[in-house]
Amino acid sequence: MKLLIVEDEPSLREIMARTLRGEGYVVEQASDYTSAVDKLAGYSYDCILLDIMLPGGDGLQLLKELKENDRRESVIIISAKDSLEDKVAGLELGADDYLAKPFHLMELSARIRSVARRSMVGGRKGFTLGNVYLDPESSRVEIDGCDVALLKKEFAILAYFMQRPGHLVDKTVLAEAVWGDHVDQADNFHFLYAQVKNLRRKLEDAGANIELKAVYGFGYKLVFPEDN
Amino acid sequence: MKLIYRVVLRLSLFLLPLLALWAMLFYFTMEDEINDEADDALDNYSELIIMRMLSGNDLPQTGDGSNNSYLIIPVQEAYANARSHVRYYDAEVYIPEKHETEPARILSTIFRDDDGQYYELRVATPTFEKNDLMTTVLGWSVFLYVILLITVVSLTAWVFHRSMRPLYALLNWLDSYKPGTVVGAVPCDTDITEFRRLSAAAQAAVDRSEEMFERQKQFIGNASHELQTPLAVLGARMDWLLDNTELSEEQMGEILQMKDTLGRIVRLNKTLLLLTKIDNNQFPESSDVDIAAMLREQKEVYDEMFAARDICCCMKLPETFTVRMNDALASVLVTNLLRNAYRHSAHGARVDVTISGRMLTVVNDGDAPLDGAHIFERFYQGSKREGSTGLGLALVKAVSDYYGLRVRYDFVDGRHMFSVEWVQSVVG
Repeated sequence: MKLLIVEDEPSLREIMARTLRGEGYVVEQASDYTSAVDKLAGYSYDCILLDIMLPGGDGLQLLKELKENDRRESVIIISAKDSLEDKVAGLELGADDYLAKPFHLMELSARIRSVARRSMVGGRKGFTLGNVYLDPESSRVEIDGCDVALLKKEFAILAYFMQRPGHLVDKTVLAEAVWGDHVDQADNFHFLYAQVKNLRRKLEDAGANIELKAVYGFGYKLVFPEDN
Repeated sequence: MKLIYRVVLRLSLFLLPLLALWAMLFYFTMEDEINDEADDALDNYSELIIMRMLSGNDLPQTGDGSNNSYLIIPVQEAYANARSHVRYYDAEVYIPEKHETEPARILSTIFRDDDGQYYELRVATPTFEKNDLMTTVLGWSVFLYVILLITVVSLTAWVFHRSMRPLYALLNWLDSYKPGTVVGAVPCDTDITEFRRLSAAAQAAVDRSEEMFERQKQFIGNASHELQTPLAVLGARMDWLLDNTELSEEQMGEILQMKDTLGRIVRLNKTLLLLTKIDNNQFPESSDVDIAAMLREQKEVYDEMFAARDICCCMKLPETFTVRMNDALASVLVTNLLRNAYRHSAHGARVDVTISGRMLTVVNDGDAPLDGAHIFERFYQGSKREGSTGLGLALVKAVSDYYGLRVRYDFVDGRHMFSVEWVQSVVG
């Protein structure tokens, strides 16, 4: 899969490129409006990561032109402006997703994956990992083809990990993703441990070959059989 | 003390003795004049008598209605030489017509006839007429004194009030002025140079503070925006380290702590952006929001998050409580109030959330009253708590101000009580 990162901050661009390359993407970079236009004129990409505040032009203008030319690239907007209006404006212009700075790198790769999945024609829309299949739309989890009943929070936790397999997920980040931003005010993570414990037991009981591994007590990592 | 009272008081303070002095002076001059007049009359009278006596004519009759009287006594030469020949004095005199003694002015003259015989002539005129006159003069003096004083003072007050009208207009305008709100230009409806200058100076000061306020708002907004990208870089690099390098437990712990701290900066930054947006009125779209439903939903989250503290949250809510607000801002308001109550509650404490009428109250246990005057200020923290931004209640205040809600803090029966009242919003 081929990506174009349009971002003016060199350091952020570099770390994004490095990470995404590490995940097996082909990554191209553009630092301003003109070079982005040049790249897009010459090549086609699967997904564009677009910062809308660019030197030399407005990222939204670039997006508009892409859509007017019926380009098939998916676009994820990356913006320092985290406001509903900007989000709506971006999505109305045809962006596929909107990610506010600062973001977690894992979040970025998860969004790319989900955008790619959406643009895929046919096939199952859910995530498959080992013998576990998770469908976010119908909130269903199957293990070896059998439905497993999960509570709302357990499902949210599993979905979060399924989109970030093999990555260490900090428990704070996980809690924020599942419970909401204000979770930082809690004085301990017992509520999180309890949910993860239940989820693990349910996965184990159903014979899943993926496992939520605790890492030093900092967080968790979803491990899955390599051969799958 | 109002300026006008001060002016009137000072004016009275000076006018009171001054006018009194004037009245006294007038009174005594008048008395002097009257005495003079009486003495002159006595002079003429005694001259007439002496002339008549020396020329051998008849002496005038007493009892002619003038109340004047005279007495001629022959005296020894020694007696005459011992005193001055003309003397004026006041004494009690018996007035035969009235059969009583009256205070009188007396002129005594010693003269000698052709035979060398000395006589003393005493002419007297009663002074009761003079006393009557002086009483009248005194009465009028006092009356005029009071009238003049009242007139001067009230005239001054009136003129002062009229002339100072532009000043009061300016003061009223300044009272109603709040930075960041549009209230129109400084009133300058006067042709008095000083007031025009004052108005101009006020306008300049207001313009300056308005500009500073605008710039400060913009600065916070811009600074927060500009910080987003570096923060993203920092976070991304830490993520990369965690994911792609072999780290010892210790190293990983350090990085995760950095990430925690970074998370706090990110939250702080986001909150500042949110505050700036509220200040800049960037939440135009409103919808019907059910506060009661929102509270029930939030309660579930916090019950789970703070399960270890066994906090008993008791809610007395109506089925629905719908207000017209921006959904995100309503959530900010409710979340911050509820979270605050949970966070500052000890183990096993009780939190009460009530909606009665159009008022939402959140009550939690506390040891001592908080500083109600500052508690809604940004970054004010009575007791520093790790992980808190110090902006939660500032957000509550900002949202309340935005919608004209009445928010207040009270300490009642050893419990903190935060209340928000929807005064004017429309029930959906």
